[in-house]
Amino acid sequence: MELTREIYWNVGHSVMVPMYAMAVLAVVVMLQGIFERIEIYRKGKRADRTDDLKGRIAVALKNAFSQRHVLRVRAPGIGHSLFFWGFLLLTLGTLLIFLQADLTDPVFGWKFLSGSFYKFYSLVLDIAGLVALIMLCGLSYRRYWVRPAGLESDLDDAIMHGLLFAILVTGFVIEGARMAVTELGAGNKLAVWSPVGLSVARQIAGMGEESLRALHKTTWWIHFFLTMAFFVALPRTKFRHILTITANYVFADHRRKGSLDTPDLEDEQVASYGASHLKDLTWKDILDSDACVECKRCQDRCPAWNTNKPLSPMKLIGDIREIAFEQPDAQLVETIGRDALWACTTCRACQEICPATVEHVNKIIEMRRHLVLMKGEFPGDEVMEAANHLEVNGNPLGMAFSSRGDWADGLSVTRMSDNADVDILYFVGCYASFDKRNIKVAKSFVQLCEAAGIKVGILGKEEKCCGEPVRKLGNEYLYQSLAVENIEVLKGYGVKRIVTACPHCFNTLDRDYRDLGFNIQVEHYVTYLQNLVRQGRLKLRPERFSCTYHDSCYVGRYNDIYLPPRELLHAAGAAIREMERNRQEGFCCGGGGGRVVADEKIGSRICETRAKMAADTGAGLLISNCPFCLTMFEDGIKGAALEGKLVPRDIAEILVERLEKQ
Amino acid sequence: MKILVCIKQVPDMEGKFQIDADGIWYSEEDLAWRMNEYDGYAVEQAVRLREQVGAAADLTVLSIGPDRVREAMKKAMAMGCDRGVHIKDNDAFRKDPFEIASLIAAFAGGKGFDVIFTGMQSQDRGSGQVGVLLAEMLGIPAVTTIVHFEFADGTLQVKRELEGGTKSVVRMKTPALVTCQLGLNTPRYPTLPNILQARKKELLSLEPSDLAKTEARLTTEKMYFPEKKGGMVLEGEPDKLADQLLAILREKTLVLR
Repeated sequence: MELTREIYWNVGHSVMVPMYAMAVLAVVVMLQGIFERIEIYRKGKRADRTDDLKGRIAVALKNAFSQRHVLRVRAPGIGHSLFFWGFLLLTLGTLLIFLQADLTDPVFGWKFLSGSFYKFYSLVLDIAGLVALIMLCGLSYRRYWVRPAGLESDLDDAIMHGLLFAILVTGFVIEGARMAVTELGAGNKLAVWSPVGLSVARQIAGMGEESLRALHKTTWWIHFFLTMAFFVALPRTKFRHILTITANYVFADHRRKGSLDTPDLEDEQVASYGASHLKDLTWKDILDSDACVECKRCQDRCPAWNTNKPLSPMKLIGDIREIAFEQPDAQLVETIGRDALWACTTCRACQEICPATVEHVNKIIEMRRHLVLMKGEFPGDEVMEAANHLEVNGNPLGMAFSSRGDWADGLSVTRMSDNADVDILYFVGCYASFDKRNIKVAKSFVQLCEAAGIKVGILGKEEKCCGEPVRKLGNEYLYQSLAVENIEVLKGYGVKRIVTACPHCFNTLDRDYRDLGFNIQVEHYVTYLQNLVRQGRLKLRPERFSCTYHDSCYVGRYNDIYLPPRELLHAAGAAIREMERNRQEGFCCGGGGGRVVADEKIGSRICETRAKMAADTGAGLLISNCPFCLTMFEDGIKGAALEGKLVPRDIAEILVERLEKQ
Repeated sequence: MKILVCIKQVPDMEGKFQIDADGIWYSEEDLAWRMNEYDGYAVEQAVRLREQVGAAADLTVLSIGPDRVREAMKKAMAMGCDRGVHIKDNDAFRKDPFEIASLIAAFAGGKGFDVIFTGMQSQDRGSGQVGVLLAEMLGIPAVTTIVHFEFADGTLQVKRELEGGTKSVVRMKTPALVTCQLGLNTPRYPTLPNILQARKKELLSLEPSDLAKTEARLTTEKMYFPEKKGGMVLEGEPDKLADQLLAILREKTLVLR
């Protein structure tokens, strides 16, 4: 007996003509839908995302087939991935059938679906179908019975679940009916290789051959039409994510994380800055909105959403999709809402988790740019005041610029204006220069450098705010003017190496300033100190203590620096009790995105929420590496009435207390 | 309608002030400069009036002082003033309010300004006289310390703030001068297109000698920091501190009587 099966059994080869005719029609209708959507993407302005197209496609396929982004959230990720792989195998299996029946067999007389390969093929497809079916049931159970908070279901979801379920079930019915007629006879060695089909066949075998043949033929056509419906629905329902997310992987932003466009603000040809309408977004922004499947992973992690503010990254992307496809003339800011836009702390939790690699943060900043640069709007008068202070004194706190270096009086720190022969330039930043609490951190850092024999220089009153808070708030003009002044001063002193204890300064100098012709080496103090400890230049005397550690967004998610601060803490003797949300999943302190200078008027306070998470570890000590975090936690601990239970400290303060005495 | 707004550039009050070499004014070393706070309200109100009137209005901003004052003028023009007049005077700080008002009057006289805005006083000298002196010299009515402003059919209606929180409403025909107080408005933040446009606006430079020669009425004899009188720092347990503080307040002040 030949180990194979008759293809087009029962339906006959004559179905080929109507089948292929309808398949071509379905594909044409599908393509039409795809092109309609591409036309919408083209309404966006240009974005350079097509360099190294080969490499981009390779990465995209790897991401898609490995499901690695989807798998970041375990349970639903596994469900989706197993379903995807199962369905993928079924699709490939079906393609092999076409290949043999309509190409290799009639043209070359070659049937490869036979023998051991056919047994293997049957088994794999049967298992794939079963796994896909079970996973689909699990996913449906989650969506329609468990109903996780925030997971919204619409007609698209019902169509998708229903269609996929029907395709899988009809597939097994066809197989079962065929096997009941052809493979149930005694001595058939093939049936066991299709265990699912076999059990279906046994269930329905009693119907008699005629009924089974009728059942087979009808179901065959139903299955075929369902598959055609899948093609037609592909661009017209959320099925499109198969294409749009893969495309989104292809056109991902290859710049360093957190990169923003640096527009030429003196260009007289440009009449408008920031994004006010759809046309001001890029085609990739619109594609992003079409790639979103509303999995709500971003929303689950958004500090604004989790403290009852009107920002959900998912809904924001949905609003953009709605505008792109339904009301292309709408004003973005009016549809999305100012309060939603101002609520963002640019913490990047949304973007880091998004399985579709949607870029949320830069869209928000572009819309903020429109509000600030074109309308002169801010989230509040206190923010406008901070901008005025920056213009006058170069810091958002309104302190006299001339007192910027006063904190260092009496310390072994030189002003560059006195002596520029130093090992590192410490770019101090505004909070460590003026805020009493953060001055302690600056002093600790300087003491650590001194202990390691490092000569530290500062710019003193010549230093200005790096411009980060206002840049994230959309005030690109003020940012650029501050940046240009800082760059000129730093270049003027021939600085070789800059270290900063502020993640915001670090990101801005080390990444954003590069667009403005700045090329001096910049490092954040956690990696700098880690190296000093590793080299044995900084000697610590470890003392056991228990603490929890907060990953600042701009060191953690933006730079993937998770281990160095923990290594330093361990070197100091720490037993770290991690908060549930740590590393990539860390929950913002509420101070990012310029929010540090803004009052938090809506919902509960983010800093209090995070302080409670830290207190829940029972460690009593909350260590961070960012002046904004420290400021927010000092506030949040008071606000959440955790004084005495939780003490916020900077990592430099911990290390300096454990310096080995000379 | 012709509108004039007079502004002064002053040091940021957070700065570290020192007495200058002559001992009659503060040293300019290490100070950051900004538009006088009250003049900010004046500019904002002038711009709002200019927007209300529309194309028929023309708004001039005037400032006296060294070249650095052009920065404050540029900000005013970015906020919406149409043109600037800079009376270039490196010694402006030596001039008394009468001389300053005379210079402005010499420029503004005969130009037919319908409404003139000034701040109620400067944050550094704080004489509060230039506005009213200017109105007197031009022979037009003046209302000081306004906290509300309306204009309709050639008539200004303003609200003034009086001592003890009392307010009064005053109406007058143009031409007139008002001096602006905190609470009148929130000055706008200039948009980028307006900042860029402001660079191209006309900024006329005049020498004081072209305008008027006036003798000073006042002479500054000496400027000095007040002697520090014995403040005290209380230390100890909070409940004892509270008792001590209460005793001092009872003994030395009227707040608890």
